[in-house]
This record gives sequence, structure tokens and C-alpha cells, in this order.
Amino acid sequence: MAAGEAAAAGLLPAAAAAQAAWLVWVLPFAAALIMPAAGRAAPRAAGYAAIAFALASALLAASLLPGALSASEVHDQIGWIDAIGLKAGVLADPLAVIMANVVGWISFLIIIYSTGYMKGDRSLVRFWFWMMFFIGSMQLIVLSDNLLQLFFGWEGVGLASYALISFWYRDKKKDHVGREGRRALGLLDYYSPTHAGMKAFIMTKVGDVMMIAGMLLIFAFAGTFGFKELAGDTAWAADMAAAGLLVPAAVLLFGGAVGKSAQFPLNEWLLEAMTGPTAVSALIHAATMVKAGVFLVARLGPLFFALGAAGILADQFFEVVAWVGAVTALLLATQGMVNPEIKKVLAYSTGSQIGYMMMALGIAGLSDRFTDGYTAGFFHLMSHAMFKASLFMAAGSLLHAVGSRFMTDMGGLRRSMKKTYAFMWAAGLALMGAPFITTGFWSKDAIFAAVYESGNAWAAPIFAIAVLTAVITAFYTTRMIGMVFFGPKSAHVLRMESAGRLVREAPLSMWAPYGILAALTIGIGIIGFSVEGGMHHLFVEYLDHSFGIRDAEDHAVAASALPGPLAGLNPVALGASVAAFSVGIGLGYVFYVGRWADPARFVASSPVFYGIHKLLLNRWYLNAMVYWGFVVAPLWLARGVFRYFERTAIDYGMNAGLEKAVGWSARVVQGTQTGVAQSYLFVFGAGILFVALVLLV
Amino acid sequence: MIDPGSTPMIVVALLGTVGVALPLISVARGERGSNSFYAAISLGALAAAIGYVGYQAAAGNVAPGALLSADVVSDDAFGGFFAIAMLAVAIMTTAGSINYMRRMQHHAVYYSLILLSAIGMVLVAYSTDLVMLFVAWELMSIPTYVLAGFHKRNPSSNEAAIKYFLFGALASAVIIYGISIAYGLTGSTNIAEVVRGFAALDPSMVPLALLAAGLFIAGFGFKMGLVPFHMWLPDAYEGSPPPVAALLAAGTKKAGFAAALRVVVMGAVALNLDWTLALGIIAVMTMTVGNVAAIMQRNLARMLAYSSIGHAGYILIGLAVAPFSATGSTGAMFHVLNHAVMKGAAFIAVAGIVTTLAVTHLDKLKGLGRRMPITALGLTVSLLALAGVPPLNGFWSKLVLFGSAIDAGSASAAASWAPWLAVAGVLNSALSLAYYGWIIRKMYFEGEEEKRVRSEPRSVVAVMVFSMLFMVGFGVYPDPIIQFAEFAAPAFSAGAGIVP
Repeated sequence: MAAGEAAAAGLLPAAAAAQAAWLVWVLPFAAALIMPAAGRAAPRAAGYAAIAFALASALLAASLLPGALSASEVHDQIGWIDAIGLKAGVLADPLAVIMANVVGWISFLIIIYSTGYMKGDRSLVRFWFWMMFFIGSMQLIVLSDNLLQLFFGWEGVGLASYALISFWYRDKKKDHVGREGRRALGLLDYYSPTHAGMKAFIMTKVGDVMMIAGMLLIFAFAGTFGFKELAGDTAWAADMAAAGLLVPAAVLLFGGAVGKSAQFPLNEWLLEAMTGPTAVSALIHAATMVKAGVFLVARLGPLFFALGAAGILADQFFEVVAWVGAVTALLLATQGMVNPEIKKVLAYSTGSQIGYMMMALGIAGLSDRFTDGYTAGFFHLMSHAMFKASLFMAAGSLLHAVGSRFMTDMGGLRRSMKKTYAFMWAAGLALMGAPFITTGFWSKDAIFAAVYESGNAWAAPIFAIAVLTAVITAFYTTRMIGMVFFGPKSAHVLRMESAGRLVREAPLSMWAPYGILAALTIGIGIIGFSVEGGMHHLFVEYLDHSFGIRDAEDHAVAASALPGPLAGLNPVALGASVAAFSVGIGLGYVFYVGRWADPARFVASSPVFYGIHKLLLNRWYLNAMVYWGFVVAPLWLARGVFRYFERTAIDYGMNAGLEKAVGWSARVVQGTQTGVAQSYLFVFGAGILFVALVLLV
Repeated sequence: MIDPGSTPMIVVALLGTVGVALPLISVARGERGSNSFYAAISLGALAAAIGYVGYQAAAGNVAPGALLSADVVSDDAFGGFFAIAMLAVAIMTTAGSINYMRRMQHHAVYYSLILLSAIGMVLVAYSTDLVMLFVAWELMSIPTYVLAGFHKRNPSSNEAAIKYFLFGALASAVIIYGISIAYGLTGSTNIAEVVRGFAALDPSMVPLALLAAGLFIAGFGFKMGLVPFHMWLPDAYEGSPPPVAALLAAGTKKAGFAAALRVVVMGAVALNLDWTLALGIIAVMTMTVGNVAAIMQRNLARMLAYSSIGHAGYILIGLAVAPFSATGSTGAMFHVLNHAVMKGAAFIAVAGIVTTLAVTHLDKLKGLGRRMPITALGLTVSLLALAGVPPLNGFWSKLVLFGSAIDAGSASAAASWAPWLAVAGVLNSALSLAYYGWIIRKMYFEGEEEKRVRSEPRSVVAVMVFSMLFMVGFGVYPDPIIQFAEFAAPAFSAGAGIVP
């Protein structure tokens, strides 16, 4: 069964590697199942069990790394439902193994953080159950060898996110998001946890429905869900292309990724998802939920690109991916500039950064050097996972310390929370793309370079959007840090202090996880260039081996123009990203750190600025429009139909009729059941005659 | 000669010895014999039997499919499959009875009767001779007549027993009449000989052969609960002690299908005529009557009785399309096994409820989810499985059954009506969800004020846990059972003989 090639790679024999790959996703599920028992045995046991299982899963994922880094893969299948030819399996190729490690280790740190963050909550067993279920589902997505099995994990992730976003289902006022009473287009911009969970569930389901349609379309032509099988024999793609269904199917699959990764136009759920505990937000944004969409595109992108060699082009698919990414990157970054809630700023930032990843993966398919964009997108996924998890956990500490989700209630905290202050700068600099020392810089620069060098007709506008977004990113990150740590203490903090409740640093179990990640972003950032180079090299081998994708020669001759250690970087991209960082952080410094200018007065100074500010604060009115179009209007329609059609035609006409008919036939049947044995026997005899007649006639 | 080491022989010897010994032990021990002592002995015997059958099948010591040997029994996978299903039901019944029987007398006799009936069921599945089949049939039936009336002083138990007995006697008469016609036409009672004889029959004699087939359908249909041979069934299931109803609904009913697959289907294939339509019509009638009548019921046991009539209709789809679709008989057997567990679990849950709360009326079930959480959960899962909700096991067997009907329609012009069976099946499944859902609603969403948790009978809880594991486990991973059913299903090919 085990078709592993890992044996050659060294560390693990093939069978052991296959078992490890299975266990990586089975263990978290097993942990979820034992949670109730552990919680009953001892209240703290559940937390320790969660840590132990998360660590075991991460270690198993790590044990697969040596094989993956030598570009070999482990593929193991078992029969699932043989009657319809379905197999279940794990596919641990370099893509999956690297992703599994990102997910596994970051989840592990978040689980440790949660033991501190959730201390004293009343429903800890429920919390641990869903956290482990979440992680297991994500690892199932990552390690599946076919679309159907992946879809099970996909739905598991959706379910877990619903349960965790609405975790505080009592809808207390402090658990809401938005400012009470604020309206946009006449609709409240203030959401309860239960509403937010529902919103996330339904909006992602829109994507899921598209995804399952795309999956079944491909299955109808290929007769398999397996990634290896789909890549191995591409006759199905030729048939689909001939029927004009290949690109629609690919775009439908991408629809699933759009929903899960909160890309435009299904982005609006991400903001309200902030109602969940902050540990959940960190998990959703860094490791499990929104990364699933990017992973799906990374899984399927090479498959569709490789078809180009057979003359089947799926360019429109990659154009859609690149443009959705670009639009989302800009759209959400702009809104991040004005929002007063710290977690929401980070949420906007996540959507925007995922947009970068989609942009890179899309542009990869539009250039003749697929690996450049592919590596850039995936590298950005990794670095984003680290710094965003760190930022979210740090934000959680702030929420705990201050007891408010509004940055306007913080301010001047840099002395009382020194560690959080330092770590937030480190991770924040990575998000901004501070040159040469942060992972965020290298991955973003790689995206810039990939876009710039792609030679596609869309490269110029997308490049412009990417640079503009980078400026905005640097600005809102500086704004966030400035508002929280600089300036005078807010009225809220002063009130707290006068009541004797001092703002204190978080405990070790909380600051250590985000400290580790913040240190990693800088540590890996310093050697970031060679990390990216190594990954590029690995993916060149992987894509060639698995899909037969070979890049064109590096035609960016200008690359060699840079001196010394920078040789190989694209000077235009490098210049653009350094400039974007400098402009963004400079503007942010002026307004929020140095406080040389008052942002409120600046906005009020001109009707244009005021208008833009209002537009951004109201989320471009997109959320309100979604509600008007898909919630309010259908509700009106439904009420109308209910009042004027349901109550008359259906209730008085059809229902009464149907009810009478069913009731009547049931009574007839019951009427024959007299209880008198003689009549039963008579019917039996008549039955024999009936059967004999049917047979004879 | 029959190999004395063959599976049916060993099982008969084992269960027979224990079954006869139990009452003797009780005579010897007098009043000292306890209820759980006898239950443990018979559980042990049944477990050993099922283990042996399973081992033989797993070790590959049995022939695949259904064998028609010259002997009176054949050691084949078909028999093994049904034997496992029916022994499993016997185990569930015995285990589920422990608490129920605590307040009753004559424990040893009770468990002994279940064992004897189990022997009959197993032998029906293995029989390859009509006389052997008849003897096994009676061995299965007679203990259940006694069991149905085990509440000697309860009028409704007596009524159930007498009705059941009257019909049983009539059905036996009908079967033996069919056997005599078959013997008269072919000069043999060996099923292989009979089928061979039917295939080479003088055309003027064909109507008589058809009459024999019709009599077999009626006789076996009585046990299967086919409409119009079903009238006794709701009264008998309702009046019998609930664990016995589990045995009747989940066990002996399945023996009817085993006999029908061996005799009716094979014989009719040999006759090479359009008998399938008759089964198709009966299937639709059966499932519709069962489900429609179930909607109006207010008594849980009676509702389940009608539901089991409905399920007989689904299974019959597989028999009706068996000559046209390879998966027809697989689906029927798959559903037989699933239904045995689902319906067995549901009736044992009823037994638990009756033991603890002494109610079966639906309105009295309010708040059961809080009062008896595990029983209510087991009942819920089995009801959902009966309705065919994925990912429970009932979904898969219905899928295979309905799929086989659609296959048959496209495979053969003679069966162009077959897809309508699937349509009827799907509509009926939807209808059935109405009353299954109703029970679930009563248990969980009504009766808010009821908070008191009752201690649940431990044996019932054990059965619930086992069957939930089965229903969910084989719902998520149905492959092993499908493969076993495929391995055990008799092979038919349209028109051609199945004669060895």
C-alpha cells in the first residue's frame, strides 16, 4: 500500500512516514474525543492533554520534514468505499509537509497561550474540544490526497470556526464587536458572537457550495478526486476544455477558497469573526481557517498550470485569482487605516495579506516562471503565519490587561507592558516589511519581484496596487502600535489606575508563545534571503517532479546589477518595497508615534478627507450592501411571500389538502387493521390469490 | 453426507446443547437459579457461535455466494452472512432482556427459547433442501409463538401470541403446500433439483410451478411482513414483550428474506419469467402502507412495527431487481444486516423504556432525552439510521438498494419500471422521516420541566452503545460490510440458470 519514496531520503522508512502522516491529523481528532473525559477527570487535565496532543502532532509533522526537504513524497492509500471506487489517503509532499509544520507548530504555541488566556472560563472542555477539532480538520485538509477527503476537513474547519466564533454564546455586551449604535446605510454595525458565528458559517458556505460544484464537475470528467491521479492522466482536462468547462470548474473551486480565505466579495465575515476568544482569532488567522483557501490554490494551481504543456490553457483562472487577490489586498488594507478596534485592524490586515498570497499564486500561472510566484506566495503564507499569530496573541494580552477592544481605550502602555511592546514592534515590523531583517520583507519583496517580472499584461496595474497596499500596511501597523503604546494614557486606563487596577504584563504562558514567534520572524528574517532561495530550489524540484513544470531561464538580467549579498534581487521590486515601507512608517510616525499632527483634525480639515474616512469606516458600504441585498431584502420578500402566498395558497389550499389526503389514507390503512383475526386471515387468503394472479397473468 | 465439522453443524450442536441444557439446569437448581446466570450462559453460547461463523468466513473456509449442493445444508457465505446478522440480533435480544426479565419467572425457559429460535433462523439461511428449510422454519417459529405470549396473564400478550400463531400456522400450511407442488412437478425436494426441474418443465405444467412460487411468496412474505400478509404484525409486535418484538422484527423477519432469496428468487430465475414485476408491486405497496400507517401511530412499539413493514418493502426492491442488476441482492443483504441492528436497537430501547418507566405512548416520551440520556441517544441514532440519514449505515444500504433499481432500469428493457421503485423508496424515506423526527422531537424538545435522571438498565445501555458504534462506525466506513455482502450475495445473471 505504501507507495513512499521517503526511504531514499533517509530519516524515516516509508511505512513509518506514512503512519506519521496519518497520525498528524488523526491525533488532534483523538484529542478532541477524549476532551470530555479528561475534563471530567480534572479540570486542568484537558488543557494539558491538548498541549500534549498538539505537540505530538507537530513533532510527527516535523519528522516528515527531512524527507520533504529532499523533495521526496509519501503517498499512502486505503480503501474507503470500494463500491464506488473511493480511496482515502495521505499525500505528504513538500507543499503539504511544510504547511503541516506551519499549522502544527503555530497551533501548538497558540494552545499553550490559550491555557493562560482562557483560564477560569466556564466551558473549557467545549473550548478544547473545538480547538483540537479545528486543528485536526486543518491537518486533514493539508494532508489529504484527494479533493473529497479534503472537503471533509474543509467543512470541519467551517464547523469549528462557527462553534468558536460564537464560543461566548451568551452574547454579553463585552463580547460584541463594533461600536454600539453606529449605523451604516441604516443598518447597525454592531454584532453579537452568535450572529458573527452564523455570518461566518453562511458566508463561507456560499463558497463551499461553489467548491463542491467544481469538485463534482471535475469528478464527472475525471472519475477521480485524487490529486496524483488528476495530475497523472490529463485526458479529463482535454475533455473539459473541449466542453468549455475547465475554467468554470477551476473558478468554482476557487470560490471555495474565496469564502474560506475571506477574499472579495466574500470577505465581510472575517471582521465579525473577532467575537471569538483571541486565541481562536490567532488560530483562524495564522494557522487554520483562512490559510486553507491559499493552500487549496497552492494545491490546485500547479495542476492547472501544468496543463499548459499539453496546450490546455487556464489563464482566465489565474487572472481571476490574481485580481481577486489584488482587489482584496487594497480594499481591506484601506479599511484597516481607520478602524478603532485592535483586533479588527489585525483582521483587515489578514485579509489584505492573504490577498497578497492569492496575487502571487495567480501571477505565477500567468508568467513563464511559475516557481517564482508560487514560492513567493507560499513563503508569504509562512511568514504571515508567524507574525500574525504573534500579533494576535499580543493583542489578546492587551485586551486582557486593559479590558477593552478599542485602541482609543489604550495608549501609553509601553512602560507597563514592556515585553508585549517589544514583541509587537518585532512582529509589526515584519508585517510592514521592514527591509532586510524581517521575514515579511523577504516574502513581500519576492511577491513584488514575481509580479514585476511576470511580463503579463496585467503586471503593471497589479504591481501598482501591491506597492500602494504596502504603503498602507506600514501606515496602519504604525498607527496601531502608536495608538496602543505611545501618547498619553487614555481616560479608560487612567480610570482603571485610579481604581487601583494597574495595567500589568501578561503571564509567562501567554507572552512566551508570541515572544517566540516574534523572535523567529526577526531571526529567520535576517537569513530570509537564503531561506527563500532554499524554498525556491525545493519547489523547482517538487514542481518538476510532480507536475513536470520547468521554468524558463531567468530573463531578469537586471538582477545582477545589484552588488554583493543583494545580487539576484530585482532592483525595482527592492526599491519599491523599501520606499513603500519608509513612506508608510513615516506617515504613521508623524500622526501616531511622534504625534506631530492630530489625525482627527487632519480628517476634519477637508470634506474630501472626511468623505474618504467615512467611506473606509463604513467598510466601503460593502457590508451594508451585502446585508441589504442578501439579508434584509430576502427577509422582506420572505415575509411578503409568507403573508400573501403561504398563508393563503399553501396553508388553505395545498397543506390542508395534503394533510387531509395523508390523514385519510392513514385512516383507511388503520381502518383495515380491525384487530379481528378472522378478517386478517381473509386478507391473507386474498393476498395469495392476488400474488398467484399477478404471476399467472 | 454433510461434513460434521461444517459451520451449520457446529452452530446447531453448540446452541442446541446449551438450549436444551438450560431448562434442565433450572430444574436441578430449582429456585436458586438467577436470571443473569442463564442470560450469561446463553450469551456465551451465542457469542461463541457468532465467533465461529465469523472465523469460518474470515478464514475463507466457506464457499462464496450461495451454493446449491445436493446436501440438505451447505456451508456457504450466504448462510454465514445471515447467520451473523441473526445471531447478532439474538445476542442483542438476550442482553436487552436481562433487566426486563428480572421481574418475571421462568428465566431459563425464556433464554432457551431464544437459543432454539436462533438455531432455526441460522438453519433457514443454510438450508438447500425444501424439507430441511421447512423444519428449520418451524424450529424458528414455534419458540417465538411461546415467547410472544410469555406474559401469561397479560391479555394483549396472549392476543399477540394467538394471532401470530394463527398466521404462522396458515403460512406453514401454505409453504408446505408449495413444497408439495414443487415435489410433484420435479420429484425432488432438493432446491437445486427443483430449480433444474423447473427450468426444463413441460409448458403445460408452468402454471402449477407459478402457483408454487406464489405460495412460497405468501408463506415467506408472512414472516417478512409483506403487504397484504402483514396484518398480524403490528398487533403481535405491540403485544409481545419488547425484547421479543426485537427478535421478531430484526431476526425472524430476516429469515424470511434468506428463504426468499434461496427459494423464490432462484426458482423464479430458473422459470425465466417476468416474476419481478409482482415483487416490485408488492415492494411499493409494502413500503407505502407501512410508512403511511406509521404516521398515525401513537404507540412507539406499534410505530416501529409499521416502520419495519416499510423496511421490508425497501429490501424487497433488491429482490425484485436482482436478475437485472448485480448489486440488487448485495443491497438487499446489506440492508438486512443494517436493519437487523437498527431495528433491534430501537426495540431494545423500547424495552429499556418499558422496564424503567412502563410507558410506550408517544406523549409519555416527553423529556426522555433528559430522563434516560443514553437510551434516548441510542434510539435517536437508530431512528435516524432507519430514515437513511448520512453518515449512518442505513444511508449506504438504501443507496445501494435504490442505486440497483436505477441500474436495473438502464441495464434491461424488461425492467424499465425499476427506477420507479427507487422513486417510491426515496419518497417513502422522506415520509418516514416525518414520524421518526416526531419521536426525536418528543424526546428532546418537549417536556422542559422533566429533569429527573433515571438510572438506565445497564444491559440496555450496553446494547445501545454497541449498536451506536455499529451504526456510526459502519456509516463512516461501510466498506467491510459491503464487501462481505458482495462476497455472500448469490450471483444471478438474467435468464441464465444459477444451477450448479
